[in-house]
Amino acid sequence: MNGYGYRLGAIGIISTFFIIIFSTVLMPMVLFRPDPSDTRNDYKAEAKVGDPVRGRRIYVREGCFYCHTQFTRLQDREYGPLVKAGDYVYETPHQLGTARTGPDLTNEGNKFPSEWQKAHLIQPRAVKPGSIMPSFSYLNDRDMNDLVCYLQTLGNKRTVNHYVAAPDEYQVSTPVGFALHERKHVDTNSDASANAGRGIYTQNCAACHGLEAKGNGPNSISLTKKPANFTRPFYKQYDDEMWFYRVSEGVVGTRMPRFNLILTEEERWYLVAYLKTLPQDVEQTIDKLDQLDKLEPIRLPKLTKQQYEPHSGGDEH
Amino acid sequence: MSGLLDKFLSNEEGSASRNFLVSAMWWSLFGMGAGLFASMEFYNPDLVHNIPQFSMPHLRMWHVNAVTIGWLSMGYIASMFHMVPTLCKNKLFSERLGNFTMWAWNLLMIGAFCTLLNGNTEGREYAELGAILDCMAAVALCTVTFNVLMTVAHRRVKKLYVSLWYFLGSLFWFPLVYIIGQRTFVFLPGLNDAIIGWFYGHNILGMWFTTVGVGIMYYLIPRYTQAPLYSHGLSMLGFWGIALFYAPTGTHHILQSPVPEWLKAIAVISSIFLLVPVFTVLTNFFMTMKGKWGQGADDLPLRFAMTSALFYLMTCLQGPFQATRWINWYIHFTQWVVGHAHAALLGAFSFILTSAVYYMLPRLTGREWHSMGLVRGHYWLKFIGFLIMYFSLTVAGLVQSAGWAMGFPVDQWSNTLYPYWFVRAISGIMIVTGQALFCYNAFRTIYTPKAVEVTAKTREVKV
Repeated sequence: MNGYGYRLGAIGIISTFFIIIFSTVLMPMVLFRPDPSDTRNDYKAEAKVGDPVRGRRIYVREGCFYCHTQFTRLQDREYGPLVKAGDYVYETPHQLGTARTGPDLTNEGNKFPSEWQKAHLIQPRAVKPGSIMPSFSYLNDRDMNDLVCYLQTLGNKRTVNHYVAAPDEYQVSTPVGFALHERKHVDTNSDASANAGRGIYTQNCAACHGLEAKGNGPNSISLTKKPANFTRPFYKQYDDEMWFYRVSEGVVGTRMPRFNLILTEEERWYLVAYLKTLPQDVEQTIDKLDQLDKLEPIRLPKLTKQQYEPHSGGDEH
Repeated sequence: MSGLLDKFLSNEEGSASRNFLVSAMWWSLFGMGAGLFASMEFYNPDLVHNIPQFSMPHLRMWHVNAVTIGWLSMGYIASMFHMVPTLCKNKLFSERLGNFTMWAWNLLMIGAFCTLLNGNTEGREYAELGAILDCMAAVALCTVTFNVLMTVAHRRVKKLYVSLWYFLGSLFWFPLVYIIGQRTFVFLPGLNDAIIGWFYGHNILGMWFTTVGVGIMYYLIPRYTQAPLYSHGLSMLGFWGIALFYAPTGTHHILQSPVPEWLKAIAVISSIFLLVPVFTVLTNFFMTMKGKWGQGADDLPLRFAMTSALFYLMTCLQGPFQATRWINWYIHFTQWVVGHAHAALLGAFSFILTSAVYYMLPRLTGREWHSMGLVRGHYWLKFIGFLIMYFSLTVAGLVQSAGWAMGFPVDQWSNTLYPYWFVRAISGIMIVTGQALFCYNAFRTIYTPKAVEVTAKTREVKV
């Protein structure tokens, strides 16, 4: 070697390093400067109850970002629209997260009542059986309230109506989905179909989901993963295809079966018509012990002849 | 006074390296133990209640920092303090400075122990340490760099062996990556923070653990096999390949977030190009090992090094594969990635560091290992434990990614992961037991007064 090898090498290392720093660290800082978007978090949503900015510090301190992400991807169902670059302008340090051991929290605000969030932080398994989230019962009242306030600001009160979508093969836009909709002749919006579906529900679903559809049927006692409570306002966002998809293919990891093996397509559409009527306008939470055991009488709506016999033509009024 | 000075800032040859080694093993027990504890909480989330220090996220921060900054980094510095003087055929520039760094680094780890378990974090993954600890780490890294550079400057051989290239390169760029990556005193808007965060998060692996680890492999494998390195030209190609392609890959951790597309493209392309240095490095090792694989049957340190090279191959085949957009689309956010991280840090680099410790400690202390049976037990516990952990995490990751891809709510299928959490906790027990055997063996080797004839030379110089 001619004696310059070592020096040339040193110059090489140094210049390589600085070129890389320039291209991947400095250039993004200069070229990539998104403007704040409408949906950025301004931490105002629940400011009257607690301090969401302090709550964010609790979120960081308790390391929530190791298991919860704060960005939605194209393929994510149920977590809201795709995030924009401007959503993150005020997020320092960033809480994008790397792993989803728990659900994504981008649009967590307003998904559950604050009392629920608090109960969930204190003992997650009390409100979500089977959850593996650690209990944060050691947080004092102030920390807990601020943290819940912060969680309620996530998504900045984004109002999302249709963000749960069934897979492509259930949508009209694909040939398979189009054929499915061609075959469908049930009007899922009519009371008649809903009543037809109620019988199917009672026979096939009520054992787990309960007659009141609150997820408290007799079988639910023995299930680790409790059946869904269809009276929750959350289910208002389900469209027909989503209901049909869930009923047909079941839910992996639970005892919910694939009803496409049990019910015909027509029966499933009738069932969808009934399921659509179940979600209530407000979340019903039980806050007293004596409400737990209370049996509610089964109320059946008054039915016209047309509703009893949906296929009879309904022209005999 | 000078007695006290010699006790705490010893000038004895090899003392800095030895003290760093002992500290590394001490912190490894804490770090791996915390990982085991956290893995048990995955299986049984109600294991402890109302103790914030034992909350899973706090244990996780401490686990990551203790094994990276404590065990691996301190062990790497110990190896450099032994290997650099040997390759330069002289002494370490200043043992006193080395010992001072050792104390500073231990103080840093004590600070990390006290802060991270209480959640005093900056909230940036892999850069959790607070401002004061960041400054201490930066100063300690700079003193290590100065010490090694001065040793190389006073070397008695003209040519630099490839290990020295790797060590010098790492010590040049890692302090800078560390200082840039901590973002202690800068507050960048969210996504820029994420870009720099992953520049750091990936490069602490790529430009410190990989480069120093490969340097150690280049040192150890020819030593064990008593064979010359297959090709010095290939080793240079591998070094420059890593220097070029590793640094810009960080953005592949946030491929689906709204960061600029050109940055993602750079990250994905350079991730794939990483196969070039990986294959050059491993070709070099395997060709050096040619015809000598049988030696691994008797020579346990060599077996650790061989295992490390094989896990390095596995990790680096997996890395570019999962950095491509469509694979990333499927497996991002899942435990698959956690398995990959353990394959790199535990499988590849912890094994090579262990091999280095088995090689160095007799040469630093002039004593033979207390028990080869314990070494064998350590190897099998760690090897099998690691494989179980890797496969349980990978399969759990595939279950999770199927759940995400099909759009099922996470709380509906999280129950199906319990068997994998359980198996992972079992593998954690095996790994921690192996590490405990290792530390006990080292403790007996160093501190038990035993009259033995010294067979290993203190500094065996053969380049």
